[in-house]
Amino acid sequence: MNDGWNIVVCVKQVPDADDVTIDPDTGTLNRSDAPAVLNKPDHNAVESALALRDAVGGTVTAVTMGPPPASAVLQAAVAAGADGGVLLTDRAFGGSDTWPTSLALARAAEELDADVVICGEESTDSSTGQVPPGIAAHNGWAQLTYTESLDPRPDEGVLVGTRDVEGGYERVATALPVVVAMVFGANDPRPAGLHRKIFAETEFEPVQWTAADLGIEDRVGLVNSPTKVGGMDTASPVERERTRVDSVEALYDHLAEVL
Amino acid sequence: MSAASGPGIDVADYRDVWVFVEQHEGEAAPVSWELLAKGRELADETGESLVALVVGDGVAHLAEEAVARGADRALLADDPVFEPYRADPYGEQFRALVEARKPSIVLIGGTHTGRDFAGRVAVPAHAGLTADCTELAVDEEGLLLASRPTFGGSAMATIKCPAHRPQMATVRAGVFDAGEPAEPTENAADAVESVEVVVAEEDTLSTVLERVVGGVVDITDADVIVAGGAGCEGDVTPLVELAEALGGEVAATRAAVEEGWVEPARQVGQTGKTVRPQLYIAAGISGAVQHLEGMNGSDVVVAVNTDPNAPIFEHADYGIVGDLHEVLPALTAMVREKQEVAA
Ligand SMILES: Cc1cc2nc3c(=O)[nH]c(=O)nc-3n(C[C@H](O)[C@H](O)[C@H](O)COP(=O)(O)OP(=O)(O)OC[C@H]3O[C@@H](n4cnc5c(N)ncnc54)[C@H](O)[C@@H]3O)c2cc1C
Ligand SMILES: Cc1cc2nc3c(=O)[nH]c(=O)nc-3n(C[C@H](O)[C@H](O)[C@H](O)COP(=O)(O)OP(=O)(O)OC[C@H]3O[C@@H](n4cnc5c(N)ncnc54)[C@H](O)[C@@H]3O)c2cc1C
Repeated sequence: MNDGWNIVVCVKQVPDADDVTIDPDTGTLNRSDAPAVLNKPDHNAVESALALRDAVGGTVTAVTMGPPPASAVLQAAVAAGADGGVLLTDRAFGGSDTWPTSLALARAAEELDADVVICGEESTDSSTGQVPPGIAAHNGWAQLTYTESLDPRPDEGVLVGTRDVEGGYERVATALPVVVAMVFGANDPRPAGLHRKIFAETEFEPVQWTAADLGIEDRVGLVNSPTKVGGMDTASPVERERTRVDSVEALYDHLAEVL
Repeated sequence: MSAASGPGIDVADYRDVWVFVEQHEGEAAPVSWELLAKGRELADETGESLVALVVGDGVAHLAEEAVARGADRALLADDPVFEPYRADPYGEQFRALVEARKPSIVLIGGTHTGRDFAGRVAVPAHAGLTADCTELAVDEEGLLLASRPTFGGSAMATIKCPAHRPQMATVRAGVFDAGEPAEPTENAADAVESVEVVVAEEDTLSTVLERVVGGVVDITDADVIVAGGAGCEGDVTPLVELAEALGGEVAATRAAVEEGWVEPARQVGQTGKTVRPQLYIAAGISGAVQHLEGMNGSDVVVAVNTDPNAPIFEHADYGIVGDLHEVLPALTAMVREKQEVAA
């Protein structure tokens, strides 16, 4: 038998996606001062982590990399039921693309002696989906992306994941440690319990690690990021007729020109 | 793991455009040929060679097809360890090839498979990887300019990778044109080089226990798409019948897919497919940015919605306020009637 798994769940703070719309005339972002929230797909990651702990025992530790206010997403994870939270925060991390971001998270997972690292499918702001495979690659661990459900086999030290493979599914057995990215919407996240919520808000203090604590101060930040954002443009609005028609006949006549 | 490149590497040592030919059970994913056609343009611009990378078990025919479709050369890693796909053997093989041969640009399909392994390769190579690009170009110095939507499609970022190589990019299916299919020519095989397989089964970290894949629909080729959203309220018959009458395909928003009304392969948007049909009919769809991102390239967009203020009307050529359960069947009847008259 075993005394449970060390489960690490990676959570990211992002601008609230529901508040982001495009102005059709200018193509500009209407962000209405979008508040920062826990990346929506990460709710599914947290739920999977808690369900996995229910199944095999052990602990769930939430980890985020970001400026100090990002500890709010750790609080949300703890309120949902995570046992603790670690904030990776340091000026040295500034400007990190997915290469150093996944390095920092990979080092933290190693520090926490993780058996399983669970991430969301992708973030709602930069949405690369590259961080989970990046964590796995930095540590030379197995990976399961686009995972719909998990079936732990603690006696064999194996995690079986069902992956969405576009047009079907596959079941893959992996050795531990393994990095999992859950499909967005894969499960129904449990609501935070009242006691946990009060604890998260009043007593919980995240552990804080700097780049130096992780031994990676020379390998993170803008200088160690291969990609550079060369320019940001609002998406050019596609010109549309925006003609209202008031009958199916009129609609058909317009379509007849196209077809 | 060692960093193969990074600040201090000589970028001039890296040349050629590589395209990863994704395949499953010997059948190429359509995005592979789309990228090969785009890769040809980029290679012509930089004056380099276009190289197809084919990994699998019994896939020499795909290497030859890649040459017939315009690749100057194909590299073939053929071994049972590569079927079915797994991240770690693919990642390791790719890493070894990148380190040994130093490509400048590497294009990979933004499918679940491509996105699963691209991130894994980019790390040991210390390569720059730009996700889900919708435009690719090269500047005067031959640097790749990779543009991608962010914030759910409301902004475009252009990403460069000045000091690291290779410059990697993933691209979703349907963004570029595949060009014409081609039969392998007689001497296509001469341009195929078998490479050393560097992974052994006993070193792999995972085992595929079961793989069930049905006939996968491909909505990215359709000229007409009838898409439905939450407004379908469980009944997608009106979509299916109109699509049938117009000779098109049914598609859906994430909301309709999550409800289970429409299969996931038909989802359009940020986490679904990118489509560019001549006609896109959006019925019961509000017009969220994440949906618009996948269909903004359509020639003509029609919106059917009960809410006159639905954002989709701002992104449509023709809009009709009404219940899709009435509008679509009426339109279907009209289409069929005219077809009968014409026949
Ligand atoms: C406009 C723009 C475009 C960008 N494009 C690219 C690009 O193409 N390539 C590139 O390498 N970088 C890019 N970046 C940088 C990238 O956004 C950051 O590296 C970011 O920290 C992680 O990438 P992501 O949000 O795409 O993560 P994803 O890989 O989409 O996130 C998947 C999961 O990983 C976990 N995760 C991700 N970030 C964190 C975190 N900070 N803390 C804890 N868990 C986390 C979460 O579980 C999340 O659900 C871009 C940045 C901007 C502003
Ligand atoms: C990370 C992330 C990724 C996402 N990726 C995608 C993606 O790839 N694709 C995608 O589509 N979404 C995606 N979404 C979700 C997206 O934000 C929206 O929630 C979704 O597109 C809404 O779908 P909908 O328009 O069908 O539903 P709703 O927004 O609920 O709209 C339903 C519309 O139907 C109308 N309606 C109701 N009844 C009728 C009727 N009888 N007849 C006609 N009209 C009617 C209503 O007026 C309303 O406008 C993503 C979200 C996130 C956070």
